[in-house]
Amino acid sequence: MNAALQLFLQQLLNGLTIGMVYALIALGYTMVYGVIQLINFAHGEVFMVGAYLAFTVIAVSFSIWPSAPFWVILILLFVFSMAGASVLGALIEKLAYRPLRGSPKLAVLITSIGVSFFLQNAVMLIYGSKEQSLPEIIPNIQFNFAGISFSLAQAIIFVVSIGLMFFLTWFVKSTKLGKAMRASAENPEGAQLVGISVNHIVQVTFMTGSALAAIGGALFGMYYGSINFHDGYLAGLKAFTAAVFGGIGSIPGAMVGGLLLGVFEGLGAGYISSEWKDVFAFIILGVVLILRPSGIMGENLSDKV
Amino acid sequence: MRFEQKLLRYLPRAWALFFVIFLFVFPDFSYAKDDELVIGLAAPLTGDQAYIGLGVFQGAWMAVEDANTRGPVFGDKRIRLEPLDDQHNPTQAVLAANKLAANPDAIGVIGHFNSSCTKAAAAIYHEARIVQISPGSTNPEISRQGFDTFFRVCATDEVQAPTAAAFVFSKLGLKKIAILDDQTTYGKGLADEFEKKFSLLGGTVAQHSGITQGEKDFTPLLTKIKSLNPELIFYGGVYPELALLIKQSKKLGLTAPWMGGDGIYDVTLIKLATPEHCEGTYATMLGVDPHSLPAAKDFVTRYEARYGEIGSFSAYAYDATNVLIEALRRAGKKDREAVLSEVKHTKDFQGILGKINFDSKGDAVGRSVGIFKIEKGRFKFLEEVKP
Repeated sequence: MNAALQLFLQQLLNGLTIGMVYALIALGYTMVYGVIQLINFAHGEVFMVGAYLAFTVIAVSFSIWPSAPFWVILILLFVFSMAGASVLGALIEKLAYRPLRGSPKLAVLITSIGVSFFLQNAVMLIYGSKEQSLPEIIPNIQFNFAGISFSLAQAIIFVVSIGLMFFLTWFVKSTKLGKAMRASAENPEGAQLVGISVNHIVQVTFMTGSALAAIGGALFGMYYGSINFHDGYLAGLKAFTAAVFGGIGSIPGAMVGGLLLGVFEGLGAGYISSEWKDVFAFIILGVVLILRPSGIMGENLSDKV
Repeated sequence: MRFEQKLLRYLPRAWALFFVIFLFVFPDFSYAKDDELVIGLAAPLTGDQAYIGLGVFQGAWMAVEDANTRGPVFGDKRIRLEPLDDQHNPTQAVLAANKLAANPDAIGVIGHFNSSCTKAAAAIYHEARIVQISPGSTNPEISRQGFDTFFRVCATDEVQAPTAAAFVFSKLGLKKIAILDDQTTYGKGLADEFEKKFSLLGGTVAQHSGITQGEKDFTPLLTKIKSLNPELIFYGGVYPELALLIKQSKKLGLTAPWMGGDGIYDVTLIKLATPEHCEGTYATMLGVDPHSLPAAKDFVTRYEARYGEIGSFSAYAYDATNVLIEALRRAGKKDREAVLSEVKHTKDFQGILGKINFDSKGDAVGRSVGIFKIEKGRFKFLEEVKP
């Protein structure tokens, strides 16, 4: 295989890895939007909290059981950051958004920005303002396949993210709760009439979205090895872009949007210019929105905008 | 409903509103005491560079505390340090500067830290005739704006970057390098000055690219740089991004050493990027390590006993604050112009980091640059370059 193609595939793979994380966060944006038409700007912060929870689990398990095999810690940190973030998501919804149900959308939007500031500064006060380094718990194993290197950490990101996406698709399509979720998204009054508690469904949606973001945060933290309280901002912004790009409100759209965004960024930074890395993402978003205002996979629902 | 009834109904709310307004407004009156001199401390106290801002704040705080325990500065006047948070954001910096300028008790400001913020806020302080002493803004452009209220106690990048470039070219004998910067006033300024000097010496700059602050994934850029085979990579910026750059470059098999300026001089860099990956990284720092200075020993010991590890700019903030307090003492009155004129006339001020004199632009004269190399997980002092 020639070197140029090798380089291209390597960049593609790097882009896909970060795209997986974007997709996980984007799912939360899109699900919440689908149910209550709110752009939850605090979602990026939930992602960041997930990373900090993972950091805490690693630190605690190192001090209690220093020789623990890495997959035990991995499972522990996934469970704990998912659980912690779900509780956080439910709390945010209950304390910040539910009292505003029915008020103008702008009020809720501004509230979500407030929640975002609150979480950022709370984490800064608890963990300090310096970057925290996550110890490398995943062994540094590189697989080489025709000159393209692929690390175990990347493999874990792929497996976990794809697994979660399949699980979510099944959950929304086939379970009772998932059906109730879709019903509430389509017609809240109608759903209420047939006995679905919309408040409960909204809460479940927030919890699911937050859990996914937390896994994203945990993977992100482990892959890059350092986390900071403001990491949620940029990652959240990118994931929001991915959600709009894929069609906000559409679950497969968020997945595709996240992956494509990661790939565009990777290729743009690698081949054109790294200064403009973020700009590529937004140019592509602009082009897609001009050609298809509802995003790649969004349905054309005029009443939702 | 009749008007009186309506009024009665809304009265409690009106009272509540009144109370809230009262809460916000009144404290400003309550602590505006006549015997107070306010010094602003403008730094990123929250936001992505809060770690530096905190160190600056603590350094200045200790200087003010030391002065106040010695008694009033003059008459019955004591100093109050007022923290102003610019969040590493020039817009916030301007807001903070306006807030301080409006305070009649304010006579000076220590800050800002980030060159971008210092540059933006300098015009406001100039207009309000508030003397501004920056502990760590190194961008040369700031003092070229022509504001006579601006001073700094650190060396500028006009000194720092050429020193670094000469070191790489002559001492290390490396001729082909790559440069990255974080596109901020500080990072880009430093990198540009470095490139200028390095090309002038006859070296080749294979690539000069920017990255975005807060970004985490640099593999695409590093993959490209690897194919250019540079002998060293210079980075203009602060350490959180450099830690990721170093780590990701080593994973890609890039063996060229890294080098950066004062923004990367922080032990957290070594913690974040791991000691083995950092091994062989060079850094220039404004002056030498305060731990090695006998004059700074007392301050460093007291600081570390109280707050833990000393911040890279805490000693600068301490010195800057002391220059201002000394000028206040000499001025002997609560008058912005008088204090400004006394700061201008600072002569051989004995700071803990060395003597401080200002040139006509407000830049500290004769501040040296230290060159460090990371060895076995520590910044090892290599040499001091006097301008």
